[in-house]
Amino acid sequence: MTEEHLLKGWDEFEAGAVLHSFEGTADQHVHHINNSIQHSVADWRAEKPVFNDEHCIHCQFCWVYCPDTAIVPKDKKFGHIDYVHCKGCGICVDVCPTNPKALLMFTEQTPDEEAVRNWPAKETKKDA
Amino acid sequence: MSDIKQIKNLKDFSTSVERFQGGHRLCPGCSHSVIVREIMNATDDDVVVSTATGCLEVCTAIYPYTSWDTSWIHIGFENAAASISGVEAMHKALQNKGKSHTDRPTKFVAFGGDGGTYDIGFQSLSGAAERGHDFIYVCLDNEGYMNTGGQRSSSTPIGGATTTSPAGKVSYGEKKLKKDMVQIMAAHGCEFVAQVAPSKWKDLVKKTQLAYQAKGAVYINAVSPCPTEWKFAPEKSMEICDLAVDSCVFPLYQIEDGHKVTVTYKPKVKKSVEEYCAAQGRFKHLFRQEFSHVIDEWQKRVDATWEHLLKREEAGL
Amino acid sequence: MANSIAPQKRVVWDGNMAASQAMRQAQIDVVAAYPITPSTPIVQNYAQFVADGEANGGEFVMVESEHSAMSACVGASAGGGRVATATSSQGYALMVEVLYQASGMRLPIVMNVVNRALASPLNIHGDHADMYLGRDAGWINLCAFNPQEAYDLNFIAFKTAEDLNVRLPVAVNQDGFLTSHTAEVVEHFDDADAYNFIGDFVNKNPMLDGVNPVTYGAQTEGEWHFEHKMRQNHALVESLDVIKANFDAFEKFSGRKYHAVETYLTDDADEIIVCIGSVFGTVQMTVDKLRSEGKKVGLVGIRVWRPFPKDEMAAAIKNAKSVAVLDRSAPMGTTGALYNEVAAVMVENGISVNLIDYIYGLGGRDTTAEHVTGIFADLKECSDAGKRVKPVMQTINLRGKTLTFY
Repeated sequence: MTEEHLLKGWDEFEAGAVLHSFEGTADQHVHHINNSIQHSVADWRAEKPVFNDEHCIHCQFCWVYCPDTAIVPKDKKFGHIDYVHCKGCGICVDVCPTNPKALLMFTEQTPDEEAVRNWPAKETKKDA
Repeated sequence: MSDIKQIKNLKDFSTSVERFQGGHRLCPGCSHSVIVREIMNATDDDVVVSTATGCLEVCTAIYPYTSWDTSWIHIGFENAAASISGVEAMHKALQNKGKSHTDRPTKFVAFGGDGGTYDIGFQSLSGAAERGHDFIYVCLDNEGYMNTGGQRSSSTPIGGATTTSPAGKVSYGEKKLKKDMVQIMAAHGCEFVAQVAPSKWKDLVKKTQLAYQAKGAVYINAVSPCPTEWKFAPEKSMEICDLAVDSCVFPLYQIEDGHKVTVTYKPKVKKSVEEYCAAQGRFKHLFRQEFSHVIDEWQKRVDATWEHLLKREEAGL
Repeated sequence: MANSIAPQKRVVWDGNMAASQAMRQAQIDVVAAYPITPSTPIVQNYAQFVADGEANGGEFVMVESEHSAMSACVGASAGGGRVATATSSQGYALMVEVLYQASGMRLPIVMNVVNRALASPLNIHGDHADMYLGRDAGWINLCAFNPQEAYDLNFIAFKTAEDLNVRLPVAVNQDGFLTSHTAEVVEHFDDADAYNFIGDFVNKNPMLDGVNPVTYGAQTEGEWHFEHKMRQNHALVESLDVIKANFDAFEKFSGRKYHAVETYLTDDADEIIVCIGSVFGTVQMTVDKLRSEGKKVGLVGIRVWRPFPKDEMAAAIKNAKSVAVLDRSAPMGTTGALYNEVAAVMVENGISVNLIDYIYGLGGRDTTAEHVTGIFADLKECSDAGKRVKPVMQTINLRGKTLTFY
């Protein structure tokens, strides 16, 4: 469903169902109101990934394998999770190579600090 | 000719300016978007994209939203290749006439699912490849018409259950051999064709960069595990990719100039087809006693194809 | 802008050559095409122009089917430049879904359609089955009755399609073989004048401008689709004003004036024939003969099939007593498409004439002055009786037992 403020009458939108990616030019990097980056898919989640800086080796696997461009790097390191666009698929957790993982799924309601406090310990080969 | 973007490692790669934005409606865990992001990030040049009707198109351009930070066109199901042919021809014409819209290097990429590539889009792909338009065709191969609930395509492997080749009391699902699009496109004389998997980002990006530099049409077949219709948990998409390449069901290789085979990934430990099938709900009926022969026959075919590829590579023909 | 008429040379061209010469002079950026009888010579002629370096550097893409021809045209047009193609019949039918897609995306593509029958059974000759098939595809449809018009209407087509107040694709129709392969005298402009009438291509949202990326071909869910289609419908209906303005401009340029509805001796006519295409010439010749015998007959030709010029149609027939509409396609289950348009116009305007539909000329079947005289005789019977005394729908020159409907 389109958000209320975006619904337009037959004579109010651009002809040909054409959509622009940016306000102004691409070089200005200001996304148009019609860019899906403006659209939240947060309510798709039942669980969310939580990041624990203590274990991260900044390998960027989570960044490259995220289907929703929701892992945002910063200066070649892990930056942050974009919770507006994260659907909670869990790929980032699955591909995280560290032990314990630097990303784990928790319920949507769990505050991040609590999740980090309750982080599991390193798994030994026997446990795995 | 524009320079190849330098990507030394994944950290380098992570500085890419994303041109495929979130907020799209693809399923959680969809491999399509991982492939698209890797393809788009492999170059800094402008890329004009066409897409066939299917999951990618339907989920990334629902009016009034677009997920594409690049020019993009969808016309129909059959014609991703024909539509990009037209854009590419216009680009050439305007350059000839000194009327180009841009002085930035521009690349052309068509995305199609296996439906829009192996089946209904095959003719226009063949035509575009034969004419040698400078573009990359990427098939997002999830082995069926997944956007409409999982109907069979000529990419569906034997034993795969789909809604139009369902497993049942007497049937083990799909009975026809999966078409070999990579070989078919190699036979078009393309400078370069390849098979890739999104979980092997380095292999995919390397091939994509070669593709961006090639003349004429390049065909890339990308395995795209679909959690929804292959029936596995969404977080496992990249694991299923790895199983696909480690069992050699989806060998990673390339063919140059229609004949020269290079196998670009050789698994240290070759996994079994059975393990590949066990991880996906669409094959669970094959574990019934009366259908187990299907897996055995499939293992034989995979082994034969793998051996043949290795021999071709060794022979250097 | 010069006020005097552009200098022209007289040549002998068939309809296909006339269309392809106009395409050459338009300096098209991309032609993506596929051959099909009887439009193949347009594509061949254009190929020769390219081979001789006379196509001004445009790209000529010989695709592998008509569906791909129109798809490539859509891609090229959305890319940002002047695009055209040509086809007929089965090829037109094959690309019909893409016609809808082209008009929905508001792309100014021009297509020469050499009208031919549709299979089955297979037939390569002229009738309007293909034009009628694409009736609702959202394209402006102009109709040429002879090679001169096939030439002229191409210029109107490009200028109208690319007008920023229109931005819709335009088809220029001509009868297969009867016009396309019939050589007549054509007056043509020199290259510079011809191009300047159309002018440079004006860009709107070109995909190839990487600094302003744009998405074409989104999908509209239930909450949007109706608005988009009605917006498009509105544009198509309103485009008639631009078409007529371009007819005026073309008159100043060439000395030849076109009208949305062409009328010939209709002012005081009691009996009128309404038709499209090459048969116009035959009817005109017959009208002249019957007039010389004192009969008050007239002729109406549809120049713009879509958007249908309702007001002009009403004005043309409102004072007549009996009107025959000629449909060159088997309507399959009802009356002919042109007849239906005329009937609606009558109802909307409170016009009462005796109206009869004639199905004629299918598969290139001959329609002679004698047949036309017979139609006018039928109409006269109705006029004299003060009501329609003939069946609603008849057939012309059909072998076998007389076949009428309704």
